[in-house]
Amino acid sequence: MSRLYDTVEPAVIDEEMLKKAVEEQGPKEEAGKIAKQEGIDFGDVLSLRLDFLNILKIDNLWEFTKLTKLQLDNNIIEKIEGLESLVNLVWLDLSFNNIEVIDNLDSLTKLEDLTLYSNRISTIENMDSLLNLHVLSLGRNQLTDLENLRYLRRFKNLKTLNLSDNPFCKQDEYKQYVIAFLSNLEFLDYRLVDQQSRDAAIEKYQVSRDEMLHNEKQAEIKKEDETKRQQELEKHKNAYVELMNGPDLFEQMYAEDKEGQKLNEMPEKFMQICTQIFDFGIAEHEKREEEVKSFWECVEEAKQDNKRLGMVHIDEFTETKKRMLLEMSQMSDHKMVEQYARDYNDKIQVLWDKLMGLELQLVDQLEEVIKEFERNMQDMVGTFVENVQALLSQCRDLENNHHEKMMEIAIVTLEKVIKNELDDEISDDLKMLLVDKDTIINAVSSSHDVHLLKIDNKEDDIVTRINQSLKNLIEQIHQDEEITRNRMRVSEINNLIDHLREEMDNLEVMQN
Amino acid sequence: MDSSEMNEGEIHQIDSDDVIKEEDETENEEGEDLTEDAEALKAELAKIVVHPPSYEQSLMEEFDQAEFSPSYKDNLPKENLVLQYAENFRRQMVQLYRDRKPLFLNPVNECGVEKFVCTTIRPTLLEFKELYNWDGAAEFVADYLNIEPLKPEYELPKRLISPSTVLKRQKGNCFEYSTLLCSLLIGAGYDAYVISGYATKETCLADESRDICPLLKKKEEVQEEARKKEMKKYNVKPPRDLRSKFELKQESKKEAEKQAEKEKQRKEEEERIAELEKPPPDPYFGLRIHAWVLVLSGKREVPENFFIEPFTGLSHPMDSSNYLGIESVWNNVNYWVNMQDCSEGVKGLSFDLGDSTVWEFMFPNNDKPLLKIPDAEDDLNDMDDDEDDEEHEVEKYLDMPPSWVDALKLSHRDFQMRCPHGKKTKVYKRAKLEKFAHYLMKDGLISRLSVYEDRELTDLMKVHEYYAHRSDKLTQKLTNHRTGQVCENFDPGRPRCLKEHQFKSSTPGPENERVMIFYHEARVDGLVKREETQTEMTEEYSNRDDFLFYKYVEFGKRAKKFGPQETSSANKGRPINKMIQKFHRNRNKPANEDIAEIIFHVAEDKIHISYHTEDVRIAASTREFLKPPNWDEKGAVLTFNPEMHQTFQVDPMLPMNKQVELYEMLMELLKAEEKCRNEVRDSQNEVRNILDDRTKEEAASELDISVYDTERNEKAKKHRRELERQQLEEKMRKQEMDIDYLAPFLAKIGNPEKLSKQQAFSLKEECLADLKQRLIDKANLIQARFEKESQELEKKQAWYQQNQVSMGKEDEEEYLTYCKEAIFRIHILDLRLTRHKEQAPHKYMQLEQKLRNDERLSEFF
Repeated sequence: MSRLYDTVEPAVIDEEMLKKAVEEQGPKEEAGKIAKQEGIDFGDVLSLRLDFLNILKIDNLWEFTKLTKLQLDNNIIEKIEGLESLVNLVWLDLSFNNIEVIDNLDSLTKLEDLTLYSNRISTIENMDSLLNLHVLSLGRNQLTDLENLRYLRRFKNLKTLNLSDNPFCKQDEYKQYVIAFLSNLEFLDYRLVDQQSRDAAIEKYQVSRDEMLHNEKQAEIKKEDETKRQQELEKHKNAYVELMNGPDLFEQMYAEDKEGQKLNEMPEKFMQICTQIFDFGIAEHEKREEEVKSFWECVEEAKQDNKRLGMVHIDEFTETKKRMLLEMSQMSDHKMVEQYARDYNDKIQVLWDKLMGLELQLVDQLEEVIKEFERNMQDMVGTFVENVQALLSQCRDLENNHHEKMMEIAIVTLEKVIKNELDDEISDDLKMLLVDKDTIINAVSSSHDVHLLKIDNKEDDIVTRINQSLKNLIEQIHQDEEITRNRMRVSEINNLIDHLREEMDNLEVMQN
Repeated sequence: MDSSEMNEGEIHQIDSDDVIKEEDETENEEGEDLTEDAEALKAELAKIVVHPPSYEQSLMEEFDQAEFSPSYKDNLPKENLVLQYAENFRRQMVQLYRDRKPLFLNPVNECGVEKFVCTTIRPTLLEFKELYNWDGAAEFVADYLNIEPLKPEYELPKRLISPSTVLKRQKGNCFEYSTLLCSLLIGAGYDAYVISGYATKETCLADESRDICPLLKKKEEVQEEARKKEMKKYNVKPPRDLRSKFELKQESKKEAEKQAEKEKQRKEEEERIAELEKPPPDPYFGLRIHAWVLVLSGKREVPENFFIEPFTGLSHPMDSSNYLGIESVWNNVNYWVNMQDCSEGVKGLSFDLGDSTVWEFMFPNNDKPLLKIPDAEDDLNDMDDDEDDEEHEVEKYLDMPPSWVDALKLSHRDFQMRCPHGKKTKVYKRAKLEKFAHYLMKDGLISRLSVYEDRELTDLMKVHEYYAHRSDKLTQKLTNHRTGQVCENFDPGRPRCLKEHQFKSSTPGPENERVMIFYHEARVDGLVKREETQTEMTEEYSNRDDFLFYKYVEFGKRAKKFGPQETSSANKGRPINKMIQKFHRNRNKPANEDIAEIIFHVAEDKIHISYHTEDVRIAASTREFLKPPNWDEKGAVLTFNPEMHQTFQVDPMLPMNKQVELYEMLMELLKAEEKCRNEVRDSQNEVRNILDDRTKEEAASELDISVYDTERNEKAKKHRRELERQQLEEKMRKQEMDIDYLAPFLAKIGNPEKLSKQQAFSLKEECLADLKQRLIDKANLIQARFEKESQELEKKQAWYQQNQVSMGKEDEEEYLTYCKEAIFRIHILDLRLTRHKEQAPHKYMQLEQKLRNDERLSEFF
C-alpha cells in the first residue's frame, strides 16, 4: 500500500503475463511437457497466482471461467474490478494493494476465503451475496467505526476474521465488541476465541445484543411470511384463480367506477360465488397436477424399462464380443478369422436391429400415451372453463339484478328529490347526480357496464391463460419426449454401432 | 347329574352297600381223604406255581418323613371332608357308569397320606421371567425333570408326589409333571388344567424319535405376495406378442403333464417313506394312561385352547392325534369328569367346562358360566325369598381347601442348571439334541444338535453347536460332515468385526476356499463379505465414501523358485493377475466421468475403465490405457503417447480429452492400482491374522463372566470379600480408638478390682483437673505463639522504618510478603484462641458427663 507509483512502472495484465504465469504454475515434468506441446486453455486453469507484478488494474481475466483460486497480492491495484466472470472463485487474495472500496464482488457467490489485508478500506460494504464466506481478512485497513462490524453478521459461516491494525483496534472495547456481536467466530486476529471470553463479551453487551437479535428475528419472520404469501399467490396463479378468495374481483369492479362506489357495499352472495370459483379452481388444479404427475411417472417407467432392455442387449453383445475376440486371437487360420469377422459384423447388425426395434417400440408406446394424455387434459381444461364460465355468469346475473334495483331506487329517489320529499341528508356528490332522469340513468348504466366489463375481462383472462399453458405443455411434451429423445437415442445407437465396427476394422488391420 | 343332586345332604344318603365290591373268592377247603389219583393230580398241580404280578408300588421310593411339614403328614378336617366328598362322588360315578375306568381322585402323597388331586396343585409364580410365559414354563419343566414312566402303563399311579418334592428330586411321572407345570401356569395367570386320559405310546414314553426336531423345522416362509403392479392410467401397452397361441398352449400342456408326473412320483415316494416309518402296532393302544396340561383361552391373552405336553414342553392343537381320550380334568378349584365320547380321540371335544351335559363337575361352586335355564317359578318369588334362598345355597357349598403343598422354591443356581446335573439328551427323528447348562462346559457349549442320515443315528450328517458366554463371541458352529464345510457365527464385538466364517475343515489354512462375513457397520472400510478360493478373492463393501462396492482379484501361481526355499516367500503372497473394482454411481459427477468399473489387467499391463450410463442413454463410455513400459521403475519419468489410450464416448458431441488430462488420469490410475494391490495384500494379511486369532481362541476358549454375575465372577467375589474385610478392619480400628480415658488414673492407684467411693471421687476429680490443666495449657501455648508472632512483626516493622531509605526493591518486597504472612498467622492464632475459649467449657462438661455415666464410677454418683 505504501508503494509509490513513480518508483516502479505499473503493469497491465496481458496475454503474455498470463501465459507465463499459467505455464509456470501449470503441470510439471512430463505432464508439463505434454501440456506445452498441446497448449493450455485458460478456461481449464483452476488456480492462478499473479503476485508482485505491479499490476494496477485487474483485466483480461474473463477467460478463466473455471478458476477457483486467484492470488493478486502485492500489486498496486486500486479498484476491485474485472472479476465478474470468475463465478467459481473460492479463494481470492487481494492483500497488499491500494484498494479503497470493496466493490464488484456480487457475482462471486461461491467465495469462501477473501483476503483484503493491508489496503485502504474504510467501510465494510457491498458483500451481500458472499454468503459462503468462511475466512475474511481485513487487517491493516482504515476501518474506524465499530458499528460497521454489524454488517458481518449476515455471514453465518464466518469462522475466522482478521481485523488487526485498524484504527478502531485502539479502542478498549474493540475485542469484546467484536466477539459479542459476531458470536459465531472461532478465530479473531490470529487467536482462538475461547468460551470464557465469549461469555464475558456477550454479558457485557447483553442489552443491545438482545435487541439486535430480536430485530433480526422479526425481520426473518417477516421475510418468511412474505415468501409464504408469494408462494401461495404463485400457487393460485397456477390454478388460474388468483385473488378470487377475497373481495378482489368486486373491488376491481368498483375501482374504476367512482359513482358506483358511493352507492354500494359488498354483497354477501357475490363473495360466495367468488369463493366457489376459487375452491373449484384449486381442486381442479390439484387434479390436473396429479394427472400430469402420473403421466410423467408412467413415461419415466416406460423409458426405464426400455433402457434396461437395451442395456441387457448391449451387455450380452459385449460378452460375445469378448469371447469372440479371445477365440480370434488364438486362431491362426486366416480364413477362419475372416469367417469370424463376418460373424461379428452380422452380430453387430443384429444388435443394431434389436436396439432400433426397441426404440421404435418405445416411440409407438409414448405416442399413444401422449395422445391419451392430451385428450384427458383437454377434457379437464374444458370442464374447468365451463364451470368457471357458469359461475361467472351467476355473477353477471347478480350484477344485472343489482342494476335493476339500482335503477329503481335511483328513479324513486330522483322523484323524491324533485318533490323535495327526501328527508335524509345526502352527499353533495350524489346531489350532483340527482339532477335529472337522464343523468342518473346514465350514471347507473355506465357503472353497470363497467362491472360487466370487469367480469368479462376476468373470464377471458382465465380462459386464455389456461388454454395457453395447456398448449405449451403439450408442445413441450411433443418436442422433448418425441423428437429430441428419439434423435438422441438414434444417434447414440448409431454411434455405438459405428464404434464397434471401427474396432473390428482396426483389429483386422492390425492382424493383417 | 344335575347340580341339585350334588348338594351335601345327599352325600350321606348313598349307602355303602351300593358300592360294588371286589369279590373275594374264598377257596373251598377239601377233605383229607384223597385218592391216589387225586394225590397225583395234586402233586402235578403243585408243580404249577403262579406268581402274582409284582407291582412296582411295593418298591416305591421311601421318603424321609422328617423333612416334610405337618400338612404333608396329616389331613385337616376340611381336607378329610373333601376326601369323603370325593369318595362319595367316585361311588356315584361307579354306580351310574359301571363300565367307566376309575378316576384319579385321591392318591397318597409321599408320606402315604391320601390327598385330593386338586389340593396338590400349588399355584406359584416364581421370580424367573422365563417362567412367566407358558412356553418358557413348559420348556423348563420338560428340561428340569427326568421322566419316570408309569408302571404298569395302563394303570393309574397310586401315589402323586407334591410338586415341591418333585422339584427337589428332579424326576416324576406324567401326573407329577403336569401338576408342577399346572401350578406354575396358574401362578402365572393362565387358565390351566391337568388332564388325565390316554395317549399313544410315543407320547407316554416321550419317544420323539419319530418327530422332526423343532429346531430343524423350517420356519414357515412368509411368502411375500408379489406386489401387484399398480395399474396407472398412462401405463404403456406392452408390445404385441407375435408368437403362435397354439404352440404356446401345446407347450404349457406338456409342461403341466411333466409336472403332474413329477408330483405323482414324489407322492409315491413320500407314501413309501411314511409306510416305512410307521411305528410298530402297540398292544396297549388306547389303554396307556397319560396326563398332560390344558390351557383354555381367555386369560393372559390366549386366543385359542391348546394342550401342552409336559414331557416335551411343546404345545399341541386341540385335535392332536397323540392324545386318545380324556377321563377327567382338574385345576386347583374343581374337578370335572368328561362325559363325551372319545372313540375318535380328542378331536371335536368341547371344553366348555360350564356345560354340565358334557363335563360332570364335582363341586357346585363352579366358576364357569352355567347354562341358565330360566325358571318360571323364580319370577313369581318375592325378593325376600330370593335372598333367603341364595344365602341358604351359599352356605351349602363346600369349597376347596387350600393346597397342602409347601410353597415351591427354586434357587437361582438350580434354575440355571436347567436339567438334572445340567445335561440332557433328547432323540428326535434322525437327530439328537444335547442340552447343557450355561457355564457347565469348559468351552461354553450350551446345546448340540446332531443330524443323522438314518434313523439308527449312526451316519452323522451335520452337527449344530450353540455356545454362550465365550470370550471370542462364538455363538454357533455348524459342521457339515458330508462336505467338510464348517460355518461359525459370531456376536458383534470381535476385533476385525467377523460375523460369519465358512471354510472347509480339511483346509483351514489361508489361501483356501472360505467365506467371511463381517459386521460392516462397525468396520472402517465397510467390508461386508470376503469370499476366497485358491485363485480368486472377491470382496463386497457397503456404504463407502468412494462408492466402491465390489472388488475381485485373480491370483496367479507362485513362481517356483529353484534353489533353497526362502521362508519369507510364503508370506510374500501370490502374484496378482487381474483386479476388478466396481463402483456405485456418484450423483455429484456427470455419468460420463463417473467410473463404474476398473479392470487392472496386471498380467497384460492394461487398464480398462467403464463409466456409468447416463440416465437417458443405454450405452456406457469406455476407456483403455496401456501402461508405459517402465511403469514399475521407481522415480522413472513416465512417457505418454496417444497410442497408449483408446476410448469410446457415447456422446460424440463431447470434446475430446486433452493429452494432459489423459496423462494425469493414467498417473492416477497407476496410483490406484498400487493402492488396490496394497489393499489386496492387507486383506490377505487380515485373513491370516484372523485365522491365527481363531486358532489361539480355540485353544484357550475362555468364558466371559458378566460383572453382574456375583456367583461366578471370581474377581468380583474377591473384590467384595476384600471390601468386607476392609470394613471389618475399619471397625476394629474404631474400637481401638475408643481409648479408656480413665486408664492412666486407674493405673496410678494400681488398677484395683473395685473402687471405693473415696477413690472414685478422687479419680473423677483428678481426671477433670487433668483436662482443665490441659485445656489451659493449650490456651497458654496459643497465647504464647500469638505474642511471639506479634513481637516479631513489631520488630520487623521497626527495622523497616529505620532502614527504609537504604533498602533495595527486593528487600522491600521480601518485607512486604513477610508482613502479609505474619499478619495472616497472627490472625489464625487469634481465631484459634477464641474458638478454644469457646469450646473448652463444652469439652469439660462433656468429660464430666461421661465420667458420670461411666459404669465404673456411676454407682457412686
